[in-house]
Amino acid sequence: MNNGNIEARRPLSPHLQIYRPMLTMMMSIAHRISGAALATGFVLLAWWLLAISAGPEPFATVNHFFASIPGQMLLFGYSWALIHHMLGGMRHLIWDTGHGLDKVSIEIFAWATIIGSTTLTLVLWLAGYWLKGA
Amino acid sequence: MVQFTLPKNSKVKKGKAWNPPPEGTEEGRWREYRIYRFDPEVGENPRVDTYWVDMGDCGPMVLDALIWIKNTIDPTLTFRRSCREGVCGSCSMNIGGTNTLACTLHADDAPEKVAIYPLPHLPVIKDLVPDLTHFYAQLRSIDPWLKTDSPTPPTEWRQSREERQKLDGLYECILCACCSTACPSYWWNSDRYLGPAILLQAERWVQDSRDERTGERLDELEDPFRLYRCHTILNCTKACPKGLNPAKAIASLKRQMLERGE
Repeated sequence: MNNGNIEARRPLSPHLQIYRPMLTMMMSIAHRISGAALATGFVLLAWWLLAISAGPEPFATVNHFFASIPGQMLLFGYSWALIHHMLGGMRHLIWDTGHGLDKVSIEIFAWATIIGSTTLTLVLWLAGYWLKGA
Repeated sequence: MVQFTLPKNSKVKKGKAWNPPPEGTEEGRWREYRIYRFDPEVGENPRVDTYWVDMGDCGPMVLDALIWIKNTIDPTLTFRRSCREGVCGSCSMNIGGTNTLACTLHADDAPEKVAIYPLPHLPVIKDLVPDLTHFYAQLRSIDPWLKTDSPTPPTEWRQSREERQKLDGLYECILCACCSTACPSYWWNSDRYLGPAILLQAERWVQDSRDERTGERLDELEDPFRLYRCHTILNCTKACPKGLNPAKAIASLKRQMLERGE
C-alpha cells in the first residue's frame, strides 16, 4: 500500500471553507480591501485634477458627475475606505510597539475601528453638506 | 500561494448517517456530530459522516464523544489522542469552526451540531490525522535548544527570577499546531513562513537569558517570509487552547529586529 504516490494523493484539509469568521480576522480582510479600494480610488482624484488642467468644460463635466447620486455614493465609499484604512493603520502602529495585543484589547480595537470609521465618515459628510448649504 | 478553493481530490462529499437516534428518547440526550472522513486505501474524496452520541453514556468532553463513537459505532474512525488533559497536544483539530484540543473542549461549549475537521490546510493522512512533518521540520529549523559558547558550569546555568519570568507565556506551548493552522498567512505561505507556533518558540529561545546566540537567532528570522508574513490577523491568539499569545511573541520579535537597528 505504501507506494511513492501516497503523499501526493493526500487531500488538503478544508481551511477557508470551514473556519469560523471572527471579527479580528474580518478586520484584517477589511483593511486589505479598503487599501485596494483606495489605490483604485486615486483614479477619481487623478481624473478630477486632470479635468482642472484641461479647462472649465471638462471640469464642469467631472463636477457634474461627482454631484450626481452615483458619484456621491462613490465618493462616500472612497472617504469611508480612506478613514477606515487610516484607523486600521493606526491600530497596526500601536501593535508594532507591542501594545494592545491582549485578547480584550484586540476586540476593543476592532470595534473602535468600525465605529470610528463610520462615525468619522458621517461627520465628514454632514460637515461637508452643512458648509455647502451655509 | 493564495488558493481559496480546495483541489479536486480534496473537495468534501456528503457522507453517510451512521446511527440515527432511537425514537422516543428524551430531548437533548443524543448529540449530532459531523465528522470529516478520509480513507487513503479507498481512493475516494473525503466526506463528512454524521454520528449521534448518547450524552448520557459518554464523558463530558468532545474527545470523550470521539472515543465513544470509535468504541460503540465505528471503530475505523481515526484520530490522535493521548493525555486527555491538554498537555500532550495530540488531539488538536478544528471543532465548530475553530482550532482547539478535543480533550479540553466541553461538549456543551461546542455548537449545537458539532462539526469536526482535521487541522486546516494540511495534507490528510486519514480522517482527523493530518501530516505535520513540515511543521516539525520548521521547528527543527530554529534550533529549539540552548546554544552557548561559555564553558558549561559545574552546576546548572543560573537565571534570576526576573530572567526566568520572561519565559512565562512562551515555555507552556505544547506544539499542538492549533495557532499555525488557524493562520491564513500560514495557509498561503507555509512553504516559507514559519507560522505563529514556531515563531513563539523562536521568541522563547531569544528571550532565554542563558542562550548566547540571540543575534544569530534574529539573523535567521530576518526574512520577508519567515517572520514578516505575519500580518497580525490574530487567529493564532484567538485559537491557542493554552491561552498563550503568539501574536504578541511575534510583535516582540519584530520589535527586537527594529531595536538592534537593521
